[in-house]
Amino acid sequence: MSRLLHALVVGLVGAGIVHIVVLLLVPVYSERDAWSALSQQANFYRTVRLDPPGAPPLIGSLDPLIDAVACRFDLRDGVVRVHGEGQVPYWSISVHDRAGLNVYSFNDRSSPRGLFDFVVATPAQMIGLRNALPPELDDSIFIEADTAEGIVVVRAFVPDESWEPTITAWLRGVACTLH
Amino acid sequence: MLKSILLTAVALAIAIVGGAGSVWLALERDFGFDTVTIGNWVAFPQHGTPQADPYSRARFSREADLALGRAEGLVFTARRDADGQLLSLECAYRIEGEFPPSRFWTLSARDAEDALIVTDGGRAPALHSLALLRHPDEAADVGVSAHAAPGNWLAVQGSGPFTLVLTLYDTAIASSARIGEVELPRIVREGCDE
Repeated sequence: MSRLLHALVVGLVGAGIVHIVVLLLVPVYSERDAWSALSQQANFYRTVRLDPPGAPPLIGSLDPLIDAVACRFDLRDGVVRVHGEGQVPYWSISVHDRAGLNVYSFNDRSSPRGLFDFVVATPAQMIGLRNALPPELDDSIFIEADTAEGIVVVRAFVPDESWEPTITAWLRGVACTLH
Repeated sequence: MLKSILLTAVALAIAIVGGAGSVWLALERDFGFDTVTIGNWVAFPQHGTPQADPYSRARFSREADLALGRAEGLVFTARRDADGQLLSLECAYRIEGEFPPSRFWTLSARDAEDALIVTDGGRAPALHSLALLRHPDEAADVGVSAHAAPGNWLAVQGSGPFTLVLTLYDTAIASSARIGEVELPRIVREGCDE
């Protein structure tokens, strides 16, 4: 009887350990995350609409009044520049790591003159950029991201349907380039 | 000998089934720490950020999500009305009271499968604060029902429970530690179809 009790206690302690291990491994092995969904759509540095017209959105939680594009990047290839032209009622940009976690976000009110021009770099690359800033990046806003692979998401607000072409054109103009 | 093998098997079975099963249960239910509850509205400010707890992160990794950051906005969801009843698509609701300060907010409805409710009539599936009818004192009520309602109306259709999603964009409360002191509007049931 006491041996059965012993086995039960050992089993419960083991269940606790398995619980923690499984919980921490789920994000590592998940193939249902945003990165996997995006990698089926396009290669690195190609922008993808998260809410393609006439198709289910890639990101289920996306607000119906928000249009968004995303691109994947790999900072080991070099810094990535995300920029666009024109004015829209509201935009925001966020940088996500490989697991899709939001590590940095920014909206149009925080940008000087409403410019949409960002450079994502690792802390080490930032030091290099500060020492010798390329003239074309003079107006850029620098985002330090301590991640190798990641995702940039650009969102824009669509107040009503008549704005749809304007917002779509603006999002199409968002370029995600290796610099 | 046989007995000790059996006991080892029992211990192993409890460990594996219990451990994996309890993770599955925790992820299937919306179990999580760091939730902010205001009235019937719930927000997960850390969801989808590196500060999120392991349960939130594990759930996040299974839903192909890219959460809003602090500079972008904050999402509140409600499953129950002011009387504590589950929100039902057969009923009409009025959302009244103050909305927290934000640049603008959007309101939409999702069904039990968390899919956006889009009505057949072609109405926009969401309302936003920049196009609302307001009282002289700037306050606004929003009606949510399957039947056309005067004033601000969020159209829904179908049957069964649903969730209201209120997203505040560019709001100071997303980055504030005093988020729990914010007031959110009440969801009042007005009547139901028989």
